[in-house]
Amino acid sequence: MEQELAELAAKVAALEEGSAWSTTINMEVFYWWCTALMFIIHAGFLAYEMGASRKKNVLASGIKNILAFAFMIPTFFFFGWWIYLAFPGGLILDFEAGAGGIPWSDAMGPNLTDNATGIFWAAFTLFAATTASIFSGAVIERIKLSGFIILAILLGSVVWILAAAWAWHGDGWLLTEYGWHDFGAAGCVHMVAGFFALGVLLNLGPRIGKYNADGTSNDILPHNVPMSVFGLMILIVGFFGFLGGCIIYNGTGQWTTIFGNPTTLSAVAFNTLMCFGGGIIGAWVVTRDPFWMMSGALAGIFAAASGLDVYWPPLAFLLGIGGGVIAPLVFRWLDKLGIDDAVGAVSVHGFAGLFGVLAFGVLGAGYPNGDYPDTNFLAQLIGAVVMVVTGFVPGYVGSLILKTVGLLRIPPEVEIRGMDPVKVPISAYPEGMDSNGLGVPAPAE
Amino acid sequence: MGSPIETWEGAAAIFNGAGGAAPVIWLVLAGVACFGAIVLAAIHEEHVYAKYLKK
Repeated sequence: MEQELAELAAKVAALEEGSAWSTTINMEVFYWWCTALMFIIHAGFLAYEMGASRKKNVLASGIKNILAFAFMIPTFFFFGWWIYLAFPGGLILDFEAGAGGIPWSDAMGPNLTDNATGIFWAAFTLFAATTASIFSGAVIERIKLSGFIILAILLGSVVWILAAAWAWHGDGWLLTEYGWHDFGAAGCVHMVAGFFALGVLLNLGPRIGKYNADGTSNDILPHNVPMSVFGLMILIVGFFGFLGGCIIYNGTGQWTTIFGNPTTLSAVAFNTLMCFGGGIIGAWVVTRDPFWMMSGALAGIFAAASGLDVYWPPLAFLLGIGGGVIAPLVFRWLDKLGIDDAVGAVSVHGFAGLFGVLAFGVLGAGYPNGDYPDTNFLAQLIGAVVMVVTGFVPGYVGSLILKTVGLLRIPPEVEIRGMDPVKVPISAYPEGMDSNGLGVPAPAE
Repeated sequence: MGSPIETWEGAAAIFNGAGGAAPVIWLVLAGVACFGAIVLAAIHEEHVYAKYLKK
């Protein structure tokens, strides 16, 4: 009898160990594929941005976008992840909490006792790269590559992740002090990136030919609208990885959000699809333009992002319509103010995100947050102001410094000729597409 | 510089040089490579733009 009990206990122990390993490995697998899906966001941004460029700049825009991604990865390893862990309390450094993110710590490399750090670092690196890609599209066709890389690193590996430590962290001060809630990162990702881009655009200025002497604006048409529209659709595919990465896999219990409340992937599925559809319809009603319809899809998602875990789907649909309507209208307003945002990044990400964050304060108030204040409008308002300032100020100051030292804008002669024939060693369309009357550009030497 | 372990039994951090100074050397070199690439980008841009403007 005793021997049987001992055998049974051994079997239970083995089963428990196997179950624990299964939970750990499943967690790794889940975030692994979220990260892989998030790569599709960048395929989408790349196509979107290259399509939105004129033919004379298409490859230069692609180089810029790809390099932003490439530089984001090592710099996020060097200091981005550490910032996230070390600053949830505000600007006061928490050495102890940040220790696991110091690049030479045992957690920041292959470690057989840590299945979490690498996979979370990877997912957050992809979020960082998303912010850089958002900014990248706004400044095409006139920014210097070196200056752009510096600004992209500032945004992706410093600014957004500092905002994420405050607004997208279980110990972030906006949650613990005020009861902030933003499931899908409308604030720290989209608002911060959008308003960072706005700060840069004020110093960078519009593309040559965008505005007339009397202040009226001209349309600078994308060279390949189908490519941009396709890029935007593929970007949406990647957002399912992004939103999956917004949820905590607990293995032995219900999913939770980063803010600690229980949720389900089903909830997110309901609302993501509904606001996506709403965003397209809203933008279509206002513009009839497929470029804006797909941008409206994004704006629709951001408009509902803060409450994707709790909204009732028809409400998410209506918020999506709101985002899809707001984004092109804000784009036109900014255009009248002389701000040349080539892809509408400020309006789609910045303002639709702002709308979403504030809307949650009205429509999602009263949800419990454990020991912290319940969700409420004041928390969303404070958080929104913090996100605007945290994005805009570094973008404006950083670009002002680069402008002062001559690293922000390319020479006007090069801008008129186009960057591809001046500095890119291959040609995008060597066999034709002389649509701008400048002749088929020869590759740069 | 190389393996920080002598057995896989109970091993934790297994990246080469773990627990020693070598990772910091690689880190500094990686940082220098990033910084150098940005400097190269700036130099290349200045060169090609100046060359174009001379034409």
